[in-house]
Formats: sequence, C-alpha cells, structure tokens
Amino acid sequence: MARYAMVTDLRKCVGCQACTVACNSEWGVPAGFARTHVHFTPVAGTFPNLVESSYVAQCNHCDHPPCVGACPTGATFQAENGIVKIDRGLCIGCGFCVEACPYDARFIDPAINKADKCDFCSARIANGLEPACVKTCTAHAKFFGDLEDRSSAVFKMVYVDGARRNETSQVAPGPNVYYLGKQENVDLALASFAPRLPRLLRPAEAWKKLLKPLIIAAVGATFLGQAVAFFHQLTSGEKQFDD
Amino acid sequence: MGSKLSRRELLRRSSIAGALAATTSAASAEALNPPGQAGATRAAQIATNCEMCFWRCGVLAEVRDGKVVKLQGNPDHPLTSGRLCARGNAGVELLYDPDRLKRPMLRTGARGEGKFKPVSWDQALDFLAARLKDLKLKYGAESVAMFPHGAAAGFFSTLMKAFGTPNSAEPAFSQCRGPREVGYALTYGSGLGSPEPVDLEEAKLIVLIGSHIGENVFTSQVTAFASALANGAKLIVVDPRFSVAASKADWWLPIRPGTDIALLLAWMNVLIGEGLYDKEYIAQYASGLPELEAHVREFTPEWAEAITELPAAQIRETARAMGAAKPAVALHPGRHATWYGDDTQRSRAMAIVTALTGSWGRKGGIFLPTPLKPGKAAIPPFPKPARERADGAGTRYPFASEEQGLTLGLVEATRSGQPYPIKGWIVYGQNVLESIPQRQKTLEAIRQLELMVVVDVLPMEQVNYADLVLPEATYLERYDAPAVTESAKRPFVALRQPAVQPLYDSKPGWWIAKEMARRLDLEAWFPWQNPDEHLRTLIRPLGINERELRVRGAVAFEGRPYIEDRRPEDGPLFATQSGKIEIYSPMLKQMGYDPLPRYTPVTDPPPGSFRLLYGRSPVHSFARSENNAWLDALMPENSVWINADVAKDLRLAPGERVVLVNQDGVESPPVLVEITAAMRRDCVYMVHGFGHQSRALRRAYGRGASDTQLITRVGIDPLMGGTGMRVNFVRVRKAGA
Repeated sequence: MARYAMVTDLRKCVGCQACTVACNSEWGVPAGFARTHVHFTPVAGTFPNLVESSYVAQCNHCDHPPCVGACPTGATFQAENGIVKIDRGLCIGCGFCVEACPYDARFIDPAINKADKCDFCSARIANGLEPACVKTCTAHAKFFGDLEDRSSAVFKMVYVDGARRNETSQVAPGPNVYYLGKQENVDLALASFAPRLPRLLRPAEAWKKLLKPLIIAAVGATFLGQAVAFFHQLTSGEKQFDD
Repeated sequence: MGSKLSRRELLRRSSIAGALAATTSAASAEALNPPGQAGATRAAQIATNCEMCFWRCGVLAEVRDGKVVKLQGNPDHPLTSGRLCARGNAGVELLYDPDRLKRPMLRTGARGEGKFKPVSWDQALDFLAARLKDLKLKYGAESVAMFPHGAAAGFFSTLMKAFGTPNSAEPAFSQCRGPREVGYALTYGSGLGSPEPVDLEEAKLIVLIGSHIGENVFTSQVTAFASALANGAKLIVVDPRFSVAASKADWWLPIRPGTDIALLLAWMNVLIGEGLYDKEYIAQYASGLPELEAHVREFTPEWAEAITELPAAQIRETARAMGAAKPAVALHPGRHATWYGDDTQRSRAMAIVTALTGSWGRKGGIFLPTPLKPGKAAIPPFPKPARERADGAGTRYPFASEEQGLTLGLVEATRSGQPYPIKGWIVYGQNVLESIPQRQKTLEAIRQLELMVVVDVLPMEQVNYADLVLPEATYLERYDAPAVTESAKRPFVALRQPAVQPLYDSKPGWWIAKEMARRLDLEAWFPWQNPDEHLRTLIRPLGINERELRVRGAVAFEGRPYIEDRRPEDGPLFATQSGKIEIYSPMLKQMGYDPLPRYTPVTDPPPGSFRLLYGRSPVHSFARSENNAWLDALMPENSVWINADVAKDLRLAPGERVVLVNQDGVESPPVLVEITAAMRRDCVYMVHGFGHQSRALRRAYGRGASDTQLITRVGIDPLMGGTGMRVNFVRVRKAGA
C-alpha cells in the first residue's frame, strides 16, 4: 500500500502563495480560508546576520491523526494509503477536529458548515495528476509521492537528503509532510510553527457534549409541543367527535 | 548626424519588443482539447496566456457551460511549463469581478466626480471620432496623446500613428525598463527585451541588485532561480532590505541606498586589479578595457566602503566569487530600473561587470535572443507627424525611445501647453495616476484636456476623470497580439484567444481600435477583416501549424542562445558602432556624457526622515489586482517596513498605524507598520499598488497607502528621461498623533 508524503524544499520556496490560490481554485475554498498557506517566520538574528524562512502549512496526514479520534461521527478517517479524509455526508460541523489538529490545518467551511482541509488532492491523484499545489508551484519546491516507492523523489528527499517532519517531543503524531533545506532555516521554520498540543476531546466526552444539547433540545421540544397542544385546546375548545 | 542615425538604430534594437497584433477564433478553439488533457479533469480547456501581469505565462482555461471555472498552467507552454503564480491562478476573479466596467459611459458630472450615463458603443465611438476630428482640426493631430499599456496596445498605437500623432508614452520605458534597455544597448548593441534573457538555471553565481525575485514573481524566472539554488548556485543579493531572495543568499549586501554604482566600480576594480576577469573574452569581443582599467584604479573596495557602508572585505570577497564562477555569472540586469536618475549609467556599470565576467552570450550568464521573423500586414506608411514629440524623447533626451516615449514628459507638455497644446488623452490599460509619479501634475494636466478617453477593465482611479469610458474585455474574453518571444532559450509564439465571450457590453481592444479606425477613415491601417486573418498573416512565414497553435497555445522553435550557436542570419553579435562590446562608449563621449560610469553622491535623508523605497508582492500586480477577491484575502493592504531599532526610538508598537509625511508635506493615509530587523535604519519600504482612491473598486478602495502619492520628486535620467523615484524622503508619525 502507498504511503503518500509531501516534501517542501525551503531552499527553493519563495512564499509566493501560488499553491494557496491554486488550491482555492481547484477545490472552491472560499476566500479567506485555505487548505494550504505559506507563512513566513519572524526574522531572527541581528542585522546584518539574519535568518528567515517560509513554511508551508497544510494537513500533515499524520500516521496517528488526532483529528480522527476527535471526530464524533466517523466523518474524519484515515484511508489505507495514509491520506486523512473527511466524509462530508457524515460531518456535522462540530469543529472538534479543528481543535484537535496540532497543526491548525482544518477549518469549518462557512458555506456548507462542514470541516475542510487538504486531502492531498485525492481526486487528482486518482486521475494520475499531481496535487494542484505541486503542479503550480513557481519555484518547483513542492514534491508529492509515495514513501513506499524507493525510486520516488520523496523517498530520496526523506531518506537520503534528510527532509524533516514538524514534530516535537510533546507532539509527534507522525506527520507525512516534510521540509528540506539549510539546517538554520528548517530549524527556524519548525520552531516557529511547532505543533501545539491537541485540544483533544475523547469521543466519549464528545458524545456527552453532543448529547447534552440534543437531550435538552428533545425535552424542550416535547414540552413545547405539549404546551402548544394545551393552549390550542384552551383557545379552540374540545373538538366535537362524530360517533 | 551619423551618431543620430546609429542612435536611432540602437534604440530600435533596445526597444521593448514591438507589439505585433494578431488574434484568432473562439468558436474553433472551444471545440478542441489539448492532447494529454482530454478527459483528465473536466470540460473544455482553452489554451491562452495570462495577463495578470505582463510575463504572459501559459494558461489553460477550463470552461464549463460557458463559464471559466478554473485556470491552471499550460504544460505545453515553452517558458512556464504548467506553472502559474498566485495572480495567474486568481484570474477567474478578475473575469467575474462584479466591479468591472460594464458598458460605455459618458461623463455627466464634473471631472473626478464619477457621474456618468451609459451609452451604446455606436454613440460612444461616434462621439469619440467626432471629438478626435475636432481636435485634429483645431490643434493638429499631435494634440492627441496616448498612454497605452498591455497586450492590445499595439492596435491603439497603430491607430494613433495613422491618426498622425507622435505622442504616445508607456510606463514600461520611463518608469521601468528604459534605463536598462539603453544601458545594455549602449554596451552590447542591443537591449534585453522581455522576458529578460538571464540564464539563471545554468548559473553558478547569481547576482541580484535590488531585484527581489520571489516577491517579484515572474513564474519562469522564479522556477529558474530556485532550481539554480537547489543545484548549488551561489547567490549575492544587494538590497537595503532583507528580501526573500536575500534570505537565500550566500552574501547579503545591505547597501546604502543609491550607491550601487560605487559598489559596481569597486567590483570592476577587483576584477581587473586581481586579473580575475575573462581575459580571452575581453580580448576577442570588447573594446575600452584600458580606459576602464585607468578609470577604476582609484575605486578600491575601501573607497566604496565609505560610500556604500559595505565592508571592503565583503566587496572583495564577492568580486572574487564572480571571478571564480565566470563565465556562468548571472548578474540580473533588473527590471524596474528607474531609481535615482543615474540609472542608465548604473545599467551600463552592470553591463560592464557582465562583460568582465565574460557572461554575455555564455551559458549561465545572459543568453542571446533567437530572431523570429513573423509576417506583417500590408499597411500604408504612417503620415509624418507635423511636429516632433512633445515630451523630448529623441531630442532633449536623446536616448529616450521614440516608440515608447516619456509619460511624465507628456504630462508636463499637457500641463504647460509647451511646446504645443495637448488637448486629448487616450488612456489604454494604464493607471496614469498610479503609474506616473507626481500625481498632482497629472491632475493639473487632466484639467487642460478637452477630451479624455479611458479604455479599461476595472474602474481604476483615472476612470473618474474621463469624458468617455470604454469597457474592455478581460484577457480571458479577448484576442490579442500573440506573444512573439525571441528572448527565450527556445523562442516561441504564444496565442491569446478568448476562453469565453465578453461579459456585459465589454469589447476586446482590437475591436475598439478597428472600429475607431473605421470612423476616422483610417481603415487602411487595419487591413484584416477579423482576428483570424491577422493571425494567419503573422504566422504564415514562421511555418506554424495554426491548429497546433490554437490547441496547444504556443509553438516553440529551436533556439541559439549562446555565442557558439550563432548563425550569420542572426545578425552581428554586437551591433554597436565598433562591432564590439563597448566598455568605453565613444557614442556617449561624442554626445557629451560620461563614457564610463561614474558614481555621483546621493543626498542622505535629513535627520528624522527616511528614504522611501518600494517594491512588489508576489500576490499583486502593480495597482491592478487589489480588487481581486482571492488576492485581497491574501494581502488586503500594504504596510510600511521600519527598522526595529528605529521603531523603538519612535515608540511604535506592532499593529499600529502611522502616517508618512514626505518632504513636500504630502501625507499618506494611516498605514500599518511592519517592525522588522530586515531593514536598514535609513529607509522604509512599502509594497507598491495600494491606497486606491476609486470608490468603484469596492474591495480595494481605501486600503493601505500609495507610494506613488508620496513620490512628488523625481530624478530625471539625462540620457533617456526616465524618472528615478527613490529620491523621496518621509517622516513617520503615529496615526492620530
């Protein structure tokens, strides 16, 4: 089975945001939201010995994705090829996955009130195309491929050239997005955009939180129905029944 | 007089690719799917080229039910091979921008008030023709000036020449590449053209002077730049600002603004003094080395250190790096070159360093264009204008292009009525208030006009001042002159063809120009019935298969990019008077200018003031794209970059807004501060293109600040009349204080 991964070569990336807009365009992501976005680190060092790096943020398609556990409906799941996907039919837009993602790679699309994020352009790769961001990258800095394939460019970048994952001793969900570059730049990029602790809600808690409003709503609705019926009867009087 | 003729010839060679007009048919293109794309995604793919900026990258427009649903790079395009920048990807948002100009409009209110009534195209064009005939009768044809910019400009230029006016000027020359073209043409006999043929991908050493590749995105240039770096090329970046390119550099030289010529002279001093230059190349191809050697002897790195504030050791080290990497040294000639008014001489200095490293015509340096010989429509000769150009191009400024003119010169002439009245302006695709400095002068000039016509896609600032507004179709809805690109490793012809029919009541530029010609009895200069005919005339001698061009969007030819590839039919290698690289320029000497570049001291900002620098963002194109929904989301406003220590002194906090006040008391609107270590202390920086004042741009209106507004002074280049715009100083005041 394939193990898909993305590598960004930070030596090459200029932060032009071509990937961001190509992705918006490919997937109809509303303006102001992004499945992938390029950030810049703060400038480090003292003038004139400065360091700065770009950093490409997107879903990391983790080996152990915290979002999957957080999803109360099973809408978020991991496919066999490692790609973490969202089944929109099951998504209720609760946003727990958004909280759970240590990389803040998810958002609720306000147009449809469902969670959304990068899926490595699954539909495109199924058609033999590269992900939209990889194809458009002006600096030819993004590489997508299968880590199980030893002849792939990403295999070489990860296992020969030493591309690095963005994880810390506290947060290490096994991300499959890698960064290549000069050590000082990659260090700065990973330190600046280190994963946060997942604000993880265990499914049970999730259920409770979900059920509580549901129960209140149900009780409320029953009570309201009773009340409406009662007052209706009061005002209209009892119906005469024909025997 | 002899020098005048060769000067004209030189200018012809340096002129920025003469626009060739041509077009094609939507109906035939829409039925076709490029090979390799069929069925891969969805719907019809129309191959065309982009105009979100002027690099003209290859685009595939995906059309479903008569709507463009997505743009992507065209993998068949020889230059950009399927890559497209943020702006290119966002082109759909221009096409469907609800603020677009929708129908012809006649002004009803006062100029600048923005009150119009809609009229039909017939009414609009009849009005225009009658007014133009009227102006010609009253003041002569030359009283009409044109300000063109963009791919369809060639059609309007033809129209204006046929009408009999010599007065046409575009910012591409006098606010942009002019000094570079002239400086290199003086040295090598030919300018660089666009795209500039810098062999970045083969370079062992890249030298950027002010060029901020990465923030300034031309897709193929970024690709080549990045791939060179990944292949181990070294990088020198000379920039007062720690740009994205500087963050990738092996040597960042945070130069004192305006002292680049001093650095270049010191580099020459080391290259010659230490014998690091390409001796064989210079002996074979160049003249004037002894004069240069004597000239630069005193310009040591120590001399330059005192001027540039760069350590002499670093100047020496970088010169040696050039010597070591020669001839594969890609010293980028820059693009926007109008900085301080001595810009042609700076370009000359850059050209000379490139000669010393033996890099012109060599792998990894500057490669050579491969001539293409497209066909030409048979048109009568243009009438000889009754008077010379009003802007001094070719006279007062002997090296100014008479084809591209001087925008500010035409503004001045209009304002003053000297040397003769200019009473009509036709503005095509150019924002005269944002692209030309000294905005106040432009507004005063507009007051002198009896007719101002604006042809544009969006309601840009100048639209409000127009008597007549003509809505142009976007690049995705129109035919344009195809790009005939010689300055590529593989020269090519690339088509612009409509992906969809024009929305609203907008019309393509070619149609507007041709219809105007018909009404002015100038049809003889438009001897084609439709764009198809024009295209066929143009491509016939090139042996291009028309269907291939329509389907794939571009057709490339074998290139001859290096000296050893040249054939006799490509013309002389160096088309200078001497047939050699003219390190020492006898032509400049003869005409009374410095035959070798010389550093002239720059004025420092007064205490408490900062030099105003400006540049580009990768997600916007000049002042053209700020209303685009996707690009606006990425960068809704600009900010002013201020050195962190300076900001501390000024007690500025992140997220605060400041007002910039220039030396003439002009104040910017409140603009965000970007407090950063990435700036020198003596200058501030902002991205050009913001601060829109047109309320009809509902998204962009009032966002950020305009550098152009603060550019009330210019340094005029005495050789070619370019307007150096980095000569303005600003004070920084807290907003509301």
